[in-house]
Amino acid sequence: MMAINGGRASLRLSVASLRAHRRRFAGTFLAVLLGVSFLAGTMMMGDTLRASFNTLFANAGGGRDAVVRSSDVISVSGKGQGVRQPVDATLVRQIQKVPGVAAAAPDIEGAGQLIGKDGQPIGGKGPPTIAGNWIADSKLNPYQIAQGHAPQAPGQVVVSRGTATRGNLRIGDTTVLRTPDPVRVTIVGLATFGGQDGMAQATYTGMTLGDAEKYLMPRPGDASSIPVRADSGVSQRQLVDRIAPVLPKGVEVITGERATAESQRDVSGQFLSLFTTLLLVFAGIALLVATFSIHNTFAIVLAQRTRDNALLRALGASRRQVLGSTLVEALAVAVIASTAGLFGGMGIAAGLQALFPAVGFPFPSGNLVISTTSLVLPLAVGVLVCVGSALLPAVRAGRTAPLAALRETAVDESGTSRLRAVAGVSGIAAGVALTALGASGTPSVLVTAAGAALTAAAFIVLGPVAAGYAIRVLGAPLARLRGVTGALARRNALRGAKRTAATATALMIGVAVVTLFTVFGASLKATLNQTVSRSFAGDVAVSAPAFGAGGSGLSPKLAPALAKLPQVNTAVGLGKGVARVDGAGRQLTVADPGALGRVLDLGKVDGSLNGLGTQAIAVSSGQAAKHRWRVGSTTTLRFTDGSAQRFTVGAVYQQGDLAGDYVIARQAWEPHRTQDTDTLVAVSFRPGVSAADGKAAVEHTAASYGNPTVQTRAEYAKSSASGINTMLTLVYALLALAVVIALLGITNTLTLAVYERTRELGLLRAVGQTRAQLRAMVRWESVLVAAFGTVGGLGLGAFLGWALVRAADATGATAFAIPPVQLVVVLLVGLVAGVVAGLRPARRAARLDVLRAVATE
Amino acid sequence: MTAADTVRTIAPAAQVRDAVKVYGSGDTEVRALDGVTVDFPAGRFTAIMGPSGSGKSTLMHCVAGLDTLTSGSAYIGDTELGTLGDRQLTLLRRERIGFVFQSFNLVPTLTVAENITLPLDLAGTRPEPGLIDELIDVIGLRDRLRHRPSQLSGGQQQRVAVARALAGRPDVVFADEPTGNLDSRSGAEVLELLGDAAHGMGRTVVMVTHDPVAASHADEVLFLADGRLVDRMERPTADRVLDRMKEFDGPSRQEARS
Ligand SMILES: Nc1ncnc2c1ncn2[C@@H]1O[C@H](COP(=O)(O)OP(=O)(O)O)[C@@H](O)[C@H]1O
Ligand SMILES: [Mg+2]
Repeated sequence: MMAINGGRASLRLSVASLRAHRRRFAGTFLAVLLGVSFLAGTMMMGDTLRASFNTLFANAGGGRDAVVRSSDVISVSGKGQGVRQPVDATLVRQIQKVPGVAAAAPDIEGAGQLIGKDGQPIGGKGPPTIAGNWIADSKLNPYQIAQGHAPQAPGQVVVSRGTATRGNLRIGDTTVLRTPDPVRVTIVGLATFGGQDGMAQATYTGMTLGDAEKYLMPRPGDASSIPVRADSGVSQRQLVDRIAPVLPKGVEVITGERATAESQRDVSGQFLSLFTTLLLVFAGIALLVATFSIHNTFAIVLAQRTRDNALLRALGASRRQVLGSTLVEALAVAVIASTAGLFGGMGIAAGLQALFPAVGFPFPSGNLVISTTSLVLPLAVGVLVCVGSALLPAVRAGRTAPLAALRETAVDESGTSRLRAVAGVSGIAAGVALTALGASGTPSVLVTAAGAALTAAAFIVLGPVAAGYAIRVLGAPLARLRGVTGALARRNALRGAKRTAATATALMIGVAVVTLFTVFGASLKATLNQTVSRSFAGDVAVSAPAFGAGGSGLSPKLAPALAKLPQVNTAVGLGKGVARVDGAGRQLTVADPGALGRVLDLGKVDGSLNGLGTQAIAVSSGQAAKHRWRVGSTTTLRFTDGSAQRFTVGAVYQQGDLAGDYVIARQAWEPHRTQDTDTLVAVSFRPGVSAADGKAAVEHTAASYGNPTVQTRAEYAKSSASGINTMLTLVYALLALAVVIALLGITNTLTLAVYERTRELGLLRAVGQTRAQLRAMVRWESVLVAAFGTVGGLGLGAFLGWALVRAADATGATAFAIPPVQLVVVLLVGLVAGVVAGLRPARRAARLDVLRAVATE
Repeated sequence: MTAADTVRTIAPAAQVRDAVKVYGSGDTEVRALDGVTVDFPAGRFTAIMGPSGSGKSTLMHCVAGLDTLTSGSAYIGDTELGTLGDRQLTLLRRERIGFVFQSFNLVPTLTVAENITLPLDLAGTRPEPGLIDELIDVIGLRDRLRHRPSQLSGGQQQRVAVARALAGRPDVVFADEPTGNLDSRSGAEVLELLGDAAHGMGRTVVMVTHDPVAASHADEVLFLADGRLVDRMERPTADRVLDRMKEFDGPSRQEARS
């Protein structure tokens, strides 16, 4: 007789049951393991990245005890670190006189993109392409000569070792540096940064001070900042206190430590947090999907064990003992799987560390760094998800009536209650209405999000009710096409609506997120395409990635050179500037306003774009309405050099898609500019010039300006959207795990169902079902469940995508697009995945012993 | 000339020769069949009797292609089962054999009508015209065709199973304790159906039972003990069968063995 007295008995029961049902928990184990691995891997990678960058900046900035720089920085929201005006390099001499200063040097930092051996620009696809002056004082210079020597004559440069490797360049090679004006340079030295081949994936070129002033600064005698080194015995604080009094207004001095901290924060704050948050969101989705799978497994396993539990209850086990033993079982699975997940996470982090640099992603080398949080949090989440998912089924198991032991285990018919149907349908109705309300008129993100969340939740509630109808509809052709095998598969999928729904829900969530991003991405692409085709009135566009995204932009001399071509009617260069308007940083488009109207469609224009000169600007109608400006109003622009100027609004134009909200004439911007660069040159041809001829002529001229991209209108529209494809690819890769977990859930449910239906399967085999037919039957059931999940996910995802597009669209200019081809691909992938998920249970079912069914008990 | 003599001359619908079936090995070795040779004449209703564990089910499984012999041979008509692979055995069961088991005879997700035509549907063939209709009338469940097995009584379920076993006009119908779980009235109905199948429709019926009353419906009873065929009885009555069974418990058991 079993001695059931208290917790120990529960424990013994759990262990015995775990041992007996090991296989049935394999799916749960895998789901927890994968989810925790992803979460832990993400966090550990974040830790490692943060630590590596911190070390990198600390090493590199170690010799700088103070930094003198302009105190005014203008940042445009969502556009990076902002723009700081240069300081006067003659300050260096005054600073050097301050007691306690060992050394000070002007530091010039701009953008310069090197051309590699193969003629292609190096980098410029995200990480910055830095060019600056080579500082002789080795403590002040974060870069150290590793090979060769410092630049001594005009045209000589030092490049970081990583840059040289990527461009296949060697000491002695001559190449072109785009600043953006092409400058011929000869490499005389290779440098390291904080002991590494470079600052992550950023490229670096160090020139003589003279060259740097000439090519990177608006005026000679300017410097981006002045790093200072202290005499020994002088603290950074003391140094700053002594330097501060000699500085003019608008110039500040900060300690080296703070400068390092700022650099670290810039990287962690912008790039790292964004990146790790993105990964964490997807880890969360994977875990959510896992929760459904795990819950389902426990529900099924415990339902199958109703008889055992009832027997225990009949023998005198209390409700709590049955509940307890179940929870201990869940806990054991949770702890073992989560711990394994931590090791999986380490593997993922290490793998990514090795993989990322290979695909050009910044990931400095260094040891794997793992914080306590990265161990404790994933472990806790894994255990919580697993035990939490088991809680409800466990409570139900505890409630098993002792009498249930005597009854034949009934098929679970619950889940299709009227209450559920009513709650689900009204939930969806309310959710859709709320979403539509939030997305229409002036979109409210909050209301839309609430509506979207409600809709998603209602979808899940309605699942079991919908499963019945959906499988009946989806399975109808199956019964007709595959005969009795198809009919049996359909009936089997219909058997436990709740179970089918729970299995499919996991996949539904995964597919919904995939669809959401697919729809959102397609809408963004459509919007960009629409923007370009609506606003770009030119024939070809010449472009190069701008400042923020690395690269060096286009030479401002390119547009005038193109304008001289006989084929070209108008060539307008568009540059970018910043100024503070009404206290907020704004991006300015620097161009020849008069010509702009000939290559861009600005819509209806009030006033005149001609002759804005140095006294007037043009603004978009949106900004005009916001500030209550009309033609003739005046406003003040504050520039980064600290100066302010009153401008008249000379023109108000309707469409700012490409022109931006503020257009300023080149001559008005000139006095306030930093490094001069254009991001786009829009070109229109003379009448009668064929597209091919015109493009060839433009390409020929552009070649000597660093070989930028020349595209026709259509090409330009398409390439504007190419970044979205990259984002989508990343998102799909990240979602793959959630989908895999969902499929594991289907496999698991089916394996359990096969086990449950042993006798029935044996009977079918006895009366003449071949192994192939049996396998097909299980596979088709799997496909039906997958189809239900996929179709539900497509519907939900498309709706949420629509909500997101509308909510994110304040101007009403965003297009909503449903990409049919991609969605069909998602559907097919879902169905094929269903086949794959069914393979193993089908194989198992086919191996069953026919006699097991026939043998009487 | 007796009826039995006439039947003996007809080729058997199924037979086993020197059938041996061994389960397990070494200490746990069980000889479930120990050299059985028997044939089941076509068109006859044969009952297999014997004490529990005597090898009745094993014999039936082996001759019906559900299990394979350790040695010896089993035939359905002229087909030697030992030479067939899993697929051929499956097709043979579906086309030439009908089954009625003691319980769990029907697929719970299929209706009564679908269960009856299941072997035909699996084969993708159409039933003989009129046959299904006739069977439905014989089992008397025309008003239950769209019901699920769980909505039927045990006796009704067994009658559906008999109809399914006959739907494909099989050479042999095997029934393993078909009345084991039924009350005597329902049992009698099922036995009548099986008798009809043999005598009315000309099917060969082989039924395993340990109930003398059930056995008395058959044309002939075979007695098994310890995996051997120990006796046969033509035109059995319940009393004669019962008397014969009693002998198994007496000293004659030793006799049968030797
Ligand atoms: N799968 C099996 N494994 C081991 N022994 C078995 C197996 N099936 C039957 N047996 C043994 O074979 C003998 C005959 O069984 P069975 O044919 O089922 O007898 P009956 O149907 O006459 O009661 C019994 O001793 C039984 O224990
Ligand atoms: Mg038996």
